[in-house]
Amino acid sequence: MPDKHISSQFDAELNTISTLVLEMGGLVESQLHQSIYALVNMSRDSAEQVINNEVRINQFEIQIDQAVISVIGRRQPTARDLRFLMAISRATQNLERAGDEVARIARMVESIVDSGSPRNLPSSELRVAADLAASMLRKTLDAFARLDITMAVAIIKSDDQIDDEYNGFMRKLITYMMEDPRTISASLDLMFLAKSIERVGDHAKNIAEQIIFIVKGEDVRHSSMEKVESAAK
Amino acid sequence: MTPIDPAIKINALELRNLNFFYGKFQGLKDVNLDIEERKVTAFIGPSGCGKSTLLRTLNRMYSLYPGQRAEGAVNFYGQNILDAKQDINLLRARIGMVFQKPTPFPMSIYDNIAFGVKLYENLSSAEMDDRVEWALSKAALWNEVKDKLKQSGLSLSGGQQQRLCIARSVAVKPSVLLLDEPTSALDPISTGKVEELVHELKQDYTIAIVTHNMQQAARCSDYTAYMYLGEMIEFGATEQIFFKPTKTATEDYITGRFG
Repeated sequence: MPDKHISSQFDAELNTISTLVLEMGGLVESQLHQSIYALVNMSRDSAEQVINNEVRINQFEIQIDQAVISVIGRRQPTARDLRFLMAISRATQNLERAGDEVARIARMVESIVDSGSPRNLPSSELRVAADLAASMLRKTLDAFARLDITMAVAIIKSDDQIDDEYNGFMRKLITYMMEDPRTISASLDLMFLAKSIERVGDHAKNIAEQIIFIVKGEDVRHSSMEKVESAAK
Repeated sequence: MTPIDPAIKINALELRNLNFFYGKFQGLKDVNLDIEERKVTAFIGPSGCGKSTLLRTLNRMYSLYPGQRAEGAVNFYGQNILDAKQDINLLRARIGMVFQKPTPFPMSIYDNIAFGVKLYENLSSAEMDDRVEWALSKAALWNEVKDKLKQSGLSLSGGQQQRLCIARSVAVKPSVLLLDEPTSALDPISTGKVEELVHELKQDYTIAIVTHNMQQAARCSDYTAYMYLGEMIEFGATEQIFFKPTKTATEDYITGRFG
């Protein structure tokens, strides 16, 4: 989006920031896929890789923040540029938190593997929710790159789907636990896993809200779906 | 910024279908604008967009030059100042102007202030002393010059000279102050002082300021008008103009994009 300022250096700086955010988002996305793989296959190696990679996400956050502060300090951006940088800052924070959730998933997989818990729990069912969250994050990054608010609205809507999956999974787990109390400990782990996946979806939704903020200047955080739709018009 | 209650809004100046001509060239095109009382209204836009022309219309500075004329209306508390019957000297006492370059008279600091006051008022010397002190204090200059009032105004630094000119305008107790790029020749510290002054003065005066420095408009105005090629492109609360302008042309200008 940062096209054609009189100062081409300003454009270059904004482009660099955009690129960094997309790289960071790409990393979070691949981390999420890796952690899902670890979960479904109960692979300790994959989980460990995810945990080791988390530090890179944190480094991205700091690097992007520094770049944003530098541009604000030197260029005193206004209007769309100002909104863009504010949105970048918020989006980065959300990506970092999504990265934390993903690492949490990986750590839980490790502990489940280490404790040798029963395999007959519906861990593969988490995959549906996890795939949804991953595709939501992917779409969010696409929409962010293209500043596509129609897509942003669709993403915000689709967060409900993940929430539904989450609620359905919760009910199922409760049934398991009631039927066989020996599964309680592992079920609790799965419950936290599901919660983390659901949180990734929330972060993707938060980022989608920032796309509307950049393009329309409307702050749609904590707003009803009707408000989001009318702001994006 | 405090929210503006439309119920108590009073306009000092109302521009209606204002057109301005330099001979055949049209400098302003059908400008409509309200300048609210005791607020700072900033005019921004690229060189030649008509913002200084507009300011010069507001106290009929242009009448000094043959071939320049304005059409439409500039209502100053209801009275059209473009009216031929308008007493121009009285008008300029009510609507003061400060220019880009400091223009102190080649006389003492004291007389720089007293000169204008003498034209309109008959004050005793004690009253005049009070008025000079009052005006210099208003312009945040008193403490710096109180011990050298007899020195030439030209002996002051550029920033001080500019504040002296503001004091000179304030001394005749106008109701509107027009500032035409008042800080473009000043260093950042003097600029800061003048901006602080603008903030102080709006308690008592209506201020219209033309500036090339957009951050200055953002810092010290309540309303901002963006002009281009003699037209008023967008006018609104400063916060709105700098955060979410409605026109692409405004956005391109304030973000420094090619228009």
